[in-house]
Amino acid sequence: MLSRVADSLYWMSRYIERAEHTSRLIAVKLEAMVEQSREDSEASWSRVIAGLSAEKHALDPGDSFATTQTLAFDHVNPSSLVTSLRLARDNARQVREQLSTEVWEHLNRLYLRLQPVTIDAIWVHQPARLFREALQDLQTLEGVTHSTLRHGEGWYFLELGRYIERAQLISRLLDIHFGVVAPGFALPPPPPKYLDWPVLLKFCTAFEPYCKEHTAAIKPERIAEFLLFDAEFPHSVKFAVDRVREALVHVAPGAPPARRAACERLAGRLKAAVDFGRIDELIGGSIDAFLVEITRQCEQIHEAVYRAYIAYGAETVL
Amino acid sequence: MQHEALAIVDEGAADLPRGALSEIRVGCDAPYENYRLGAAYDEMFARDGSVRPHCAALHARLASLPTEELIRRQQNCEQSFLHQGITFTVYNDSRATERIIPTDLLPRIVTAQEWVRVEAGLKQRIRALNLFLQDIYGEGRVLKDGVLPRAMIYGSKHYRREMRGLHVPHGAYVNVCGTDLVRREDGAFVVLEDNLRVPSGVSYMLANREVVRRAFPGVFRAAGVQSIEHYPQALLATLKSLLPFQEEVSIALLTPGVFNSAYFEHAFLARQMGVELVEGRDLVVNDNIVYTRTTSGLKRIDVVYRRVDDDFVDPLTFREDSTLGVPGIFNAYRAGNVVIANALGTGVADDKAIYAYVPRLIRYYLAEEPLIENVETFLCREPESLSYVLANLDKLVVKAVGESGGYGMLVGPHASKAEREAFAEKLKADPENYIAQPTIQLSTAPAFVEGAIEARHVDLRPFILHGETTTIVPGGLTRVALRRGSLVVNSSQGGGSKDTWVLSA
Repeated sequence: MLSRVADSLYWMSRYIERAEHTSRLIAVKLEAMVEQSREDSEASWSRVIAGLSAEKHALDPGDSFATTQTLAFDHVNPSSLVTSLRLARDNARQVREQLSTEVWEHLNRLYLRLQPVTIDAIWVHQPARLFREALQDLQTLEGVTHSTLRHGEGWYFLELGRYIERAQLISRLLDIHFGVVAPGFALPPPPPKYLDWPVLLKFCTAFEPYCKEHTAAIKPERIAEFLLFDAEFPHSVKFAVDRVREALVHVAPGAPPARRAACERLAGRLKAAVDFGRIDELIGGSIDAFLVEITRQCEQIHEAVYRAYIAYGAETVL
Repeated sequence: MQHEALAIVDEGAADLPRGALSEIRVGCDAPYENYRLGAAYDEMFARDGSVRPHCAALHARLASLPTEELIRRQQNCEQSFLHQGITFTVYNDSRATERIIPTDLLPRIVTAQEWVRVEAGLKQRIRALNLFLQDIYGEGRVLKDGVLPRAMIYGSKHYRREMRGLHVPHGAYVNVCGTDLVRREDGAFVVLEDNLRVPSGVSYMLANREVVRRAFPGVFRAAGVQSIEHYPQALLATLKSLLPFQEEVSIALLTPGVFNSAYFEHAFLARQMGVELVEGRDLVVNDNIVYTRTTSGLKRIDVVYRRVDDDFVDPLTFREDSTLGVPGIFNAYRAGNVVIANALGTGVADDKAIYAYVPRLIRYYLAEEPLIENVETFLCREPESLSYVLANLDKLVVKAVGESGGYGMLVGPHASKAEREAFAEKLKADPENYIAQPTIQLSTAPAFVEGAIEARHVDLRPFILHGETTTIVPGGLTRVALRRGSLVVNSSQGGGSKDTWVLSA
């Protein structure tokens, strides 16, 4: 596979994951807002803003309208929903010939549908609905991708992008909810209240799976454990890390062992950290450091993949 | 779409008051109540207003459908184009919007007999043009025999001295050719222009077929339309045939990238052929071997189907500021380690002055009479022609041979007396630089425009594949001037395209 193609597939997938995460956070937040007091709503918006790494926009968490506008429809904001979709689609266009018609058209249709939407058009009646629909479309896209592409090298680059992004996004959300001092805040929001925990689960589509596993008894420690270490839940950190490692086994099948080794070692190290971590050692202690470390290791894997397979100098392999 | 503007432009018909042309209305029944026949040949209606037999089924079907239904089908076609991403981007107020390349719902129909003649003529022409290129980049017989002046070749900006003496497989310099045909008033197809460099549009031909077949399944099936779907396979076979003794041939399609207006086509063809779509930055040349940079290391490439202009192919040999090209690829080509299709330097054979000589080249190389004529062309470098042109400036279109896009051009019927006189002086001063052609009315075909069926001017660009053998899929891209009266079919000026049905009997 061309290095440039691998690069585009990887980023296309990261942006799709980011768009899905953004849609879900906004949808869940807008739905939850109905039952939140003004202070609770502001605190909860602050967490959404931090979860989407949008603190630098100096948003007022008391202004739901403007916040939603910036997070979802601001074409200038590099991490808004519409920007993520545009970048996903730009990357897909670069590798149009590698994608199935179904994947391309599904993504293209979603892009064309959301590009012209304005906050004014959706705000009056059930603003959450648009984000729910986008979410459904993105989930369908994942299914179409799974079922119409060959599960070859290109597909594993999509997997790699998706799960590196997911591991980082979930780690960040956990950090914001469990960390001693949430990152990036001048004035940190108050610690989560009881009703913020189900919202956190819903941010990760984890509410129902969690209840099946642990009953509806909401215990923050169990939630942290579930979102970090559950091996079978697709939006847990462990699940994502396992997929990253699996993807790295399958990409660049013809690359010389020495170049593969660097990537696989880093993925194995991250997997070991997650496999042997224990929640009782983290809660009330080093969970911040642990989550920061996961994010850092994801970045290292990203860099190693680029060095080994994508941005290597031609002279190094001649 | 990178289409050249049509060489012959007579927008005069649009300016004339309606009725000034001998217009015939063809019956008053919906949906044809606005259909007007002018001086041009019409693809559906004969001069007396009767329906040509091969169009009868389509004509009847269109009459049976309510306008709303036609509008719905037209919208379906447009939606399909939009979703497939057959679009170009328009930038305004920092937002980019996507526009589709206009596509017309109504197919244009060509009979089997007409197509047999066209196909034979195109095959003859491509053979002669390739022999001509082999000759001028080889021994230069045609120049020694004085068939055409040396200055015309060596003075051409598309002549590539670097190609002298280079072996080209099967002598096939032009592997993909798009020849623009128009119908004269008498109904005969004539060649307007050869596109021998990097012709585009074939993906629109295939995309149009797909949507129009869906819009008129019954008529399509009953008509017995010849298939064009095998174009990608035929292209692949043509490219493979350039390395006849090699079992496994690795092919790459070189695109300028995602910002090129024909990018959709490049991605489409690469996908349909199952070959790698590459940009210049994906290719590396080492020791005169061309490689792609893959995740697993470097992989050798044998044939490059390039959709990048000559000038930009290799910054070491041609334009050094090119960032689209591959440094060193031309040396690899000369060394015989890679085949580039089309070969470089083919543009020398499709400029306006050489065009006028193509009938003579056919006679010279093949000892045959041309099966498809050119548009009548006067070479001002020849004294009799020059005096004819000077005497008839008010009837002719005069063009400078080295120019394109309407520069250095006189449209006689529209020019003032003073303009004609001034132009006559330029002509006399430098006759070698000019050719002249009569204005022709391109044929008209029914098009569905703003809820009505009206006559619009069309041309036809078939795509000719030439490697070890010559293949032409039956049909081509019919371009249509969607503006009433306009003869300009290129997409930047309100042109669109439509499906072309070549019947099998």
